[in-house]
Amino acid sequence: MATGNLTLNEEKIEVRRRALTSSVAMSIVMVSFAMVFATLMLGYFAYRFTSEVWPPMGMQRVDLGLPTVSTVLILLSSLTYFLSESSFLQKNSKKFKAYFWLTFALGIVFMAVQSWLWFSLKKNGLFVGSGVFASMIYGFTWIHAAHVVGGIVALLCLIPSVRNKREEVSTSLWLKNIGMYWHFLGIVWVIMYFSLFVY
Amino acid sequence: MAFYEQHIHPKPTTFLSKYIFSYDHKVIGKQFLWYGIFFLFVGGLMALMIRWTLAFPGQPFPVIGQFLFPESGGAVPPDTYAMLFTMHGTIMIFYAITPILIGAFGNFCIPLMIGARDMAFPLLNMLSFHIAALSGIILLGSLFTPLGAAAGGWTSYPTLSTLIGSPGVGQTFWSLAIFVLGVSSIMGAVNYITTIITLRAPGMGYFDMPLTIWGLGLTAVLNAIFLPVLGSGVMLLIFDRVFGTTFFLAGAAATTGTGDPILFQHVFWIFGHPEVYILILPAWGIVSDLLSFFARKPAFASRATALSMTAITILSTVVYGHHMFTTQMSPLLTQTFMTLTMTISIPSAIFFANWLGTIWKGSIRFHTPMLFSLGVVFVFGLGGLTGLYLATVTTDLYLHDTYFVVGHFHYTMAASVLLGGFAAVYFWMPKMFGTMLNEFWGKVHFWITMMGLNGVFFGMMLVGYGGMHRRIYNPFIYEFTQKLIPLNTFTTWSAIIMGLSQIIFVVNFVHAVFFKKEKATANPWEVGTLEWTIPSPAPHYNFKDIPVVKCGPHEYGNPNLTDGRDFQYQTEELV
Ligand code: HEM
Ligand SMILES: [Cu+2]
Repeated sequence: MATGNLTLNEEKIEVRRRALTSSVAMSIVMVSFAMVFATLMLGYFAYRFTSEVWPPMGMQRVDLGLPTVSTVLILLSSLTYFLSESSFLQKNSKKFKAYFWLTFALGIVFMAVQSWLWFSLKKNGLFVGSGVFASMIYGFTWIHAAHVVGGIVALLCLIPSVRNKREEVSTSLWLKNIGMYWHFLGIVWVIMYFSLFVY
Repeated sequence: MAFYEQHIHPKPTTFLSKYIFSYDHKVIGKQFLWYGIFFLFVGGLMALMIRWTLAFPGQPFPVIGQFLFPESGGAVPPDTYAMLFTMHGTIMIFYAITPILIGAFGNFCIPLMIGARDMAFPLLNMLSFHIAALSGIILLGSLFTPLGAAAGGWTSYPTLSTLIGSPGVGQTFWSLAIFVLGVSSIMGAVNYITTIITLRAPGMGYFDMPLTIWGLGLTAVLNAIFLPVLGSGVMLLIFDRVFGTTFFLAGAAATTGTGDPILFQHVFWIFGHPEVYILILPAWGIVSDLLSFFARKPAFASRATALSMTAITILSTVVYGHHMFTTQMSPLLTQTFMTLTMTISIPSAIFFANWLGTIWKGSIRFHTPMLFSLGVVFVFGLGGLTGLYLATVTTDLYLHDTYFVVGHFHYTMAASVLLGGFAAVYFWMPKMFGTMLNEFWGKVHFWITMMGLNGVFFGMMLVGYGGMHRRIYNPFIYEFTQKLIPLNTFTTWSAIIMGLSQIIFVVNFVHAVFFKKEKATANPWEVGTLEWTIPSPAPHYNFKDIPVVKCGPHEYGNPNLTDGRDFQYQTEELV
């Protein structure tokens, strides 16, 4: 994309600077997303610390099984994303693709397990309207899930890269920026897992 | 300084690509300007209906009352009154002032004043406007829902805003509209910050940026950090209303297992206090620049001004509790919030003194933009000072939820931001549309607006001090408020005068945009910032060659200047 008679070296610098620009933007976006979940957590801890017994009203804790599976899945997907990105940087196209599709699949399975979680909560008598404890379990997991769906859509944006339709520099840029978001979703889920379900 | 050089895009040719789906930051700025002016009109009309009801309870609103409220013979009915002040506040804050100051002038000024060809992400910029338009449609649509639009106040506190307080779908629409608008503003903020960081012209350090850019940049930072907080809050409100969660339903979590309405107030004001600075910072920046431009003097201690604005931005994040003194907060907390709020006075005082220092002994040119800027100095002084009474716990317990608060925030927001916005419109008009607004009518507009506005907002403070509460359909059913009727009538007449005087502006503006033959010169105000180095109106690529910045934005009255000019361009070496 360099203009006119830039030498090769200058061209590289130019590309790196464009990359820097998009990372600046992506970092700001991440701050915004972090504030969304920080607000939810603030609400959670406000309720949690003003309540003598938790969960309130003699409600049952949520069985840890499914949330634990979700945690493992989302952490694995972060790992595979990382492996995919580093394979790409090492120019191992085969591994890059394999790990990418694995990440994608793990994202989908994560969503499936979340839906299963909501279904089983309902079956065990914890309804959306059963008080603030249920509100938080459902509301926060919904919001997180909506962001995961966004993340899956973002992964779809990488498909041109997977099909070699994109320049190398620009793929590494996409990988980096989408990666920030994908890992962020994992971190948020882990925090939610420990605060909402374990603690 | 710029990370890379942007390309010159081909000139758009079709109507759609030129005016509707334009990537050009200048066109998007103008779109936001029209959007804001439209909502200013809608919100202003609502304000007049509110005022009419307070001065002449039960009497039909002139001309359009018969059409709007036929079942009550043209008078505003009580439930509509609540809807009106809710929508008035919402529209003015989120749909008028924000689009004009941040959407229009943020978009227009940032690239031009830092020497860039466009925003860092033009597509994102375009989407940001279209999403804002969608949000506006949702909000206006809510007016036509069966039970009417939201009526729980612009703060939409539960339980007023839960299904118990407002069963209609209007409140849900309201929450959705705010959420969507928040997305749009965050997109804008990301764009602004990135642009300011990465696209400043070579040679332009942060302190060489005009203070307008400082104000807009700090606003964008607050937007990116705090709008998501409101977004979360209204999303949970939507969950409560639509899916039956109980986040904000009354009853303490410990005893009943339901939620807590006060939590929403916390979330709202964690966002809300920064929001008031989001609104004022661009106006501050613009006024700081214009005072220097028209006093023909360097901005007094402009670095200190920039740093005070930054300090205020940071402090504004930790004072929100002053809106909640009456919610049975612990005294330890109220006093902490009081002290923190008072701390803001220090940078504010520095900042305000710098304004006075700038105009002190200047050779002031009283053009319309300068009049409006001086107006801001006056009204913001009053608004800021009244804040101190509200920030003091002991006085706030009396003043909270009275018209004194309404007067305070109208002085700070409505008056200061509106006048700042007008100053900006008059000032950048030649660069935006290529013609000047009429100076004479601009001055008439200023003086009438200024008188009307002080009548309205000072009247509000007086009746508030007299004990009149806000948001009451007919406050005069109480005996002690009946003495306040004449003052309310005066306030209403002032509002009517102020409202009517805006017609002068609209005519002037429409004439200048569409009909005026006489073109403006490239630099009619004799100002040295980068946007005045290019023709008026700015060409679609802004700068043919990216300028190189060699001095600051406020170089006036330098005795070494020889060629009959008293200013120099930022592209010139300091003489
Ligand atoms: C300069 C120092 C300022 C101080 C010390 C201050 C203090 C306060 C306090 C304590 C309140 C709460 C009053 C109550 O509800 O009882 C308040 C309300 C308000 N202030 Fe300020 N303020 C300041 C500047 C501003 C500015 C610059 C703006 C806007 C641009 C602003 C906008 C508002 C608004 C919108 C409200 C009322 C919101 C509502 O309840 O609907 N204030 N202010
Ligand atoms: Cu405040």
